[in-house]
Amino acid sequence: MGEMQIREDARAWQSGMAKNITFIVTKDCQLACKYCYLVGKNVKERMSWETAKTFIDYVLSHEDDFPEESVIWDFIGGEPFLEIDLIDMICDYLKQRMFELNHHWFNSYRFSFSTNGINYHEPKVQKFIEKNREHLSIGITIDGTEKKHDLNRVYKITERGSYKDVVRNIPLWLKQFPGGGTKVTISSADIPYITESVLHLYSLGIHEVNINVVFEDVWQEGDDKKFEEQLLSLADAIIDGGYYQDYACSFFTEQLGKPLDPVYDNNNWCGAGRMLSVDAAGNLYPCTRFAQYSLREKNAWIIGNIKDGIDKNKLRPFLTLDRITQSNSECLNCEIASGCAWCQGENYDAADTPTVFQRATAICKMHKARVRANNYYWNKLYRKLELEGKREEFEKNKKESNPTIC
Amino acid sequence: MLEYLIIQLDDTSTSYCHYEIGAKEHKLMPLETLKAGIRFGMLENLMIQFVYPDYKLPDDYAAAIESIDHNKIVSSLCEDEALKAEADVMIFHEWTGLSLAQLDEKKSYVLRTAKADLFDRYLFLKDVISKVMRLNIVITDVETFTEEDFEKYKQILHILSEHIEKAYVAGKSPQFNILTDRMMLEKMNNCGAGISNITLAPNGKFYICPAFYYENEEDCVGNLENGLDIKNPQLYKLDYAPICRHCDAYQCKRCIWLNRKTTLEVNTPSHEQCVVAHLERNASREMLENIRKHGSFMPQIEIKEIDYLDPFDVREHWDEELLQQELIKYHQENY
Amino acid sequence: MTKKTVGQVTEEEKNEILQLFERRNGLNELAKILTPDNDTLYQKLVKDMGETGIKFQSWWDLMAAKYQWEGSENGHWEINFDTCEINLVTE
Repeated sequence: MGEMQIREDARAWQSGMAKNITFIVTKDCQLACKYCYLVGKNVKERMSWETAKTFIDYVLSHEDDFPEESVIWDFIGGEPFLEIDLIDMICDYLKQRMFELNHHWFNSYRFSFSTNGINYHEPKVQKFIEKNREHLSIGITIDGTEKKHDLNRVYKITERGSYKDVVRNIPLWLKQFPGGGTKVTISSADIPYITESVLHLYSLGIHEVNINVVFEDVWQEGDDKKFEEQLLSLADAIIDGGYYQDYACSFFTEQLGKPLDPVYDNNNWCGAGRMLSVDAAGNLYPCTRFAQYSLREKNAWIIGNIKDGIDKNKLRPFLTLDRITQSNSECLNCEIASGCAWCQGENYDAADTPTVFQRATAICKMHKARVRANNYYWNKLYRKLELEGKREEFEKNKKESNPTIC
Repeated sequence: MLEYLIIQLDDTSTSYCHYEIGAKEHKLMPLETLKAGIRFGMLENLMIQFVYPDYKLPDDYAAAIESIDHNKIVSSLCEDEALKAEADVMIFHEWTGLSLAQLDEKKSYVLRTAKADLFDRYLFLKDVISKVMRLNIVITDVETFTEEDFEKYKQILHILSEHIEKAYVAGKSPQFNILTDRMMLEKMNNCGAGISNITLAPNGKFYICPAFYYENEEDCVGNLENGLDIKNPQLYKLDYAPICRHCDAYQCKRCIWLNRKTTLEVNTPSHEQCVVAHLERNASREMLENIRKHGSFMPQIEIKEIDYLDPFDVREHWDEELLQQELIKYHQENY
Repeated sequence: MTKKTVGQVTEEEKNEILQLFERRNGLNELAKILTPDNDTLYQKLVKDMGETGIKFQSWWDLMAAKYQWEGSENGHWEINFDTCEINLVTE
């Protein structure tokens, strides 16, 4: 007796207690997604092994500066798996050095990836997965139906849709990561396809759909009404189809749309500054969204480099940033404020001056529409459960969605 | 509320604060711009502070300047001896000049110094403090302070505070910004750039302070033609500075320009600025206690004993409730 | 396969076994890339694997003795890290 199994949600792993450290291994990607916020993607900026090693040596030799119990070593791009050889070297080196140094993170680490899924099946990627299986968290981005996916997620130059090349890898991915969730991004043109897309993802066997609207100011007049209509139809489909029992969609969250207390709910939403990112040039950022390739209007917010380390002064704004100081009075007095997200990087990029203390509000109408549909969802669902005498059972077993926004 | 207009008469107008004017060449503000600036100050009911270059201005400029009540900020190196005699604030950029100068007990002086010179020559300040109405020290490389520098500065403040204590006991009231200001203050009294004062540069554009002009001329906040246009004005206010609104180092310069230079945000000070201000605060506290041993003195002032030098380090314990109520009130009144 | 909740440990006790569980996984994956050529590190790994294995089993022995959970000859216990519950899983 005494064999154990782990039961945990990999995406919410050590939520809030883990340091998130991101390697921007490449700024290249096979795709040119139309909503991608990475305005400066290119094929040149690939991280070298020397840069990666110097960064790792810096981080692991400053254990006192990183007291978090756990670490998530995150790999992004572009498309991270384009650099699978480098990633493999990085992960091997990390494992070896954390053990050799008796670093406290050897007892609690994950390697995390957000991939477009196109080369997921390739031998090198599969070998890597096999080697690091117990420490991996991999999310494949698929936007929904073929039509919806191919509307935005298209190849560079040819503009051919990538759906078929991704969907063929979903069964393998779900076999390896049965609880795997996907991230869906909604822009103005995607609104009509929301319902069918979420249901399509469920039909592929994906039980958790983390979906959010883009933070950028892309919304057209009337989008909020169309969005609300889609969410209402999605709510009906999820409830009438019984999906609520085993599937989750982050659009519907019970905590959404409540007033927030100015004192007790004053935390910053975003984790920028509590994370750390490094790029091919060896520059360090409070989050990848502050690297130059992510910014349309502003200069990169560099907090140091791999040679000199982190300039802690440049983290002070992030570590003292609160909701009230960055919000305007409409947000502050909003009676449905809870769950209204923001991205610190987009706030910075959209601000009137180079500051992280001015909250962008482009999603305001969309949030309000989402709250109305969310109210409808829970009112309808709870009434149904009460009539069926199943509410208590549902409460006990309900599957929470992951509120991750990035 | 805006109270002061600082007019940089020339690109080479003396620095009176942390910034350097760099390699700028003479470029006098056009007379029409000067007159328009003065008119702006009159219309907005602002007290004007003219910052002079080191050469003698043409007579028509002097006449325009004298058309309004004002203050003169002049460098000790200025060639115009008559102007120096009239200066309200005189700026020294090095110690030798200060040691040779004829000091006026009715005047205010500013000494801009690098930390290394201060650490070497601070004892000379005892003599200066006794001879002038007020002496302000500006450490021009405060952002480079190390742990060792903090310790040295603490010792220097202690030694100078003993001298000032004796002066107070003897019935004198020397003013020395880094030691006596905190003793007199019941609330924040910072530089006020962007809030209580704004700068007009020779190009006819407004800047948060002269440092912003010298760093990047594009970084203006309006012009004489169209008036002031400060984006995110709330960020210059104390309520919108998360670290400073929890702080009681009331004498701190809270230099907006250094904030942006070191932390990239105008409302967030660096660790070095916070620690230096707290060493001054603590030295003032000790000095106040010592003066009170000789009799009642400033009974309304209370400087509490604290166990940190940087409010950022105790951010988990900040009492937010009262401050946030004030913030919400501010929001309701201003948006 | 059937699963039945037979007990619960404290949060602290759960954290102890979670850390050992994570360490064991880390050691196992490190073993895939370390070779005896790297003698010092390899010896350190072998030693650690042995020690972690012992600590791991000791935890289960200690907890089983402390809480007297229901057992079964053709079953094993599992811990749910989310709830700290101990489940008896039988074939």
